[in-house]
Amino acid sequence: MTALKLDHIYKDFSGLEVLVDISMTVEEGERHAVIGPNGAGKSTLFNIITGHYRPSRGKIHIMGRDSTGWSAHKIARMSLSRSFQVINNFPKMTVFENVRNAIVSKVDQRFNVVSFLSRSGKIRRQTEAVLEQLGMYEVRDVPAMELSYGWQRKLELALTLAGDSNVILLDEPTAGLDIEETRGFIELIKELTRGKTLVVVEHDMEVVFTLADRITVLNYGGVLITGSPEKIRDSEAVKNAYLGRNSHAAGTD
Amino acid sequence: MNIFPIVNNGWKVLAGTFVVALPLVVPEMQVHLATEVLIYCLFAVSFNLLLGYAGLLPFGFAAMFGVGAYAAALMFNHLGSTPLVVVITVAAASGLLTAIIIGAFCVRLGGTYFALLTLAFQMFFYAVALKWRSVTNGDDGIPVMRPEFYFPGLGNLSLMNIHNLYWVVLFFVVLGILSAYLFLKTPLGNAVVCMRENEERAAFLGYNVYLTKLAVFSFAGLLAGVAGALYALFQEFVATTVIDANMSFAVVLMTIVGGTGRFSGPIAGAIFFMLFQDWISDITDYWRLYFGIVFVVVVLYLEGGLISLFNLDPIRRLLRRKTG
Repeated sequence: MTALKLDHIYKDFSGLEVLVDISMTVEEGERHAVIGPNGAGKSTLFNIITGHYRPSRGKIHIMGRDSTGWSAHKIARMSLSRSFQVINNFPKMTVFENVRNAIVSKVDQRFNVVSFLSRSGKIRRQTEAVLEQLGMYEVRDVPAMELSYGWQRKLELALTLAGDSNVILLDEPTAGLDIEETRGFIELIKELTRGKTLVVVEHDMEVVFTLADRITVLNYGGVLITGSPEKIRDSEAVKNAYLGRNSHAAGTD
Repeated sequence: MNIFPIVNNGWKVLAGTFVVALPLVVPEMQVHLATEVLIYCLFAVSFNLLLGYAGLLPFGFAAMFGVGAYAAALMFNHLGSTPLVVVITVAAASGLLTAIIIGAFCVRLGGTYFALLTLAFQMFFYAVALKWRSVTNGDDGIPVMRPEFYFPGLGNLSLMNIHNLYWVVLFFVVLGILSAYLFLKTPLGNAVVCMRENEERAAFLGYNVYLTKLAVFSFAGLLAGVAGALYALFQEFVATTVIDANMSFAVVLMTIVGGTGRFSGPIAGAIFFMLFQDWISDITDYWRLYFGIVFVVVVLYLEGGLISLFNLDPIRRLLRRKTG
């Protein structure tokens, strides 16, 4: 089954065309990377898939259902969740409370007014399970804003994965981490998203080539090429547009 | 022995006893004042659900208070034999309905736009109260006859007796404040705090921002409606002052002065606001000027409001260090 299907997506912001005729499909279970130079439209693409923006033209299908024009919360409940490039959590709440917010949503208790949140063993257990999985138990009672940057990155991942969504979109999950941290992080992502559909935007070529089965390269708001990592690595067009000029990882020209 | 729990709970028991026994120990004039303070406590607590917890600042919150007051006054006047509990329930429902109508338009907006659009709605309701003379009597207002209150075991109590009125008001105020307190402990209450903390993140976790805000706005409106009904009962009179901008801003001021960060903040604020007004208007006609000075000083130098003066944490730490 196709997890994610974009059909001739266009987006312009009052005349400025950011996305032009983007079509791509991501199969269930695939790990797909979206790369491209700055300003290629990667983040806009994420914002369109997740319902933050509406496409100017075109259709989006998530797990076979037309989700074009749906609001963000509705799409989030369709088992699609995303992380953010810039840290985006509940700053005054503790790590436990942050993750719990995601669990409350997952178990559909968002509008429950007849029981106490702290009394729900189910919610507490699931929250603790997520903290355990990500190795965040030691910081569970620390307010998010007091965490170090590395921990905040991890919390970002925890919030995204806690809902156990089938389709996971990660927007530069390793942004700002050093090489060591990045490697550990990638292993964690690999492990925790096993069996799920993963779409990841990244700048770090090492991350992209270790993580992805397929890669889509965006340039000037359009799809330049889609294919396996080998195909992308060998593509002249990609070298010219992106790797040749910017990358230090691929080491071409 | 650890005296910390005793200190911690002891003062609560003492305060509770004092509040209940107050009419027996203070002169009648002060019971009047205390009754009014109670009503404002409920009003401010319901307001702080929005300002302190949802992160919403409405400048027109008196709309719900006023509609509740008018609903109660009209029922007391035209349906004299209706039990008080029914009147309060209808007032609560009116507050709820008003809040749903206003909220449906306003909670989409953020910050200043939200504040000012609620103010616009409140002014609209004010204009209706002023001009719809056949129902509201306009500026002249509606006189209210306090009904008798049936209490199981004691029979009918006259609410003309200020002591009885105090206890009845106390009952409904405690009920309202307690329900606000418990509301915040539910998953929906938590979702409301998520709106304040980061509504974008909440939306991407599946929370419906609009409905969550509308829910808390409506619930706050319901409690404000109850406060309005109690106010009508207390004043024995309802006029446009219950639904004007002064009322809207009074609740903003008392809540901020008391402190929005803690549940008890608006209670402290309402008490201070009323007592300060009562005390200083004996001395000068310009009480608002002096309250304004206090407001500025608190906002500038006392982050967390007056309630932060009662912060027991340092004392607790001291006790813990000594005993532990």
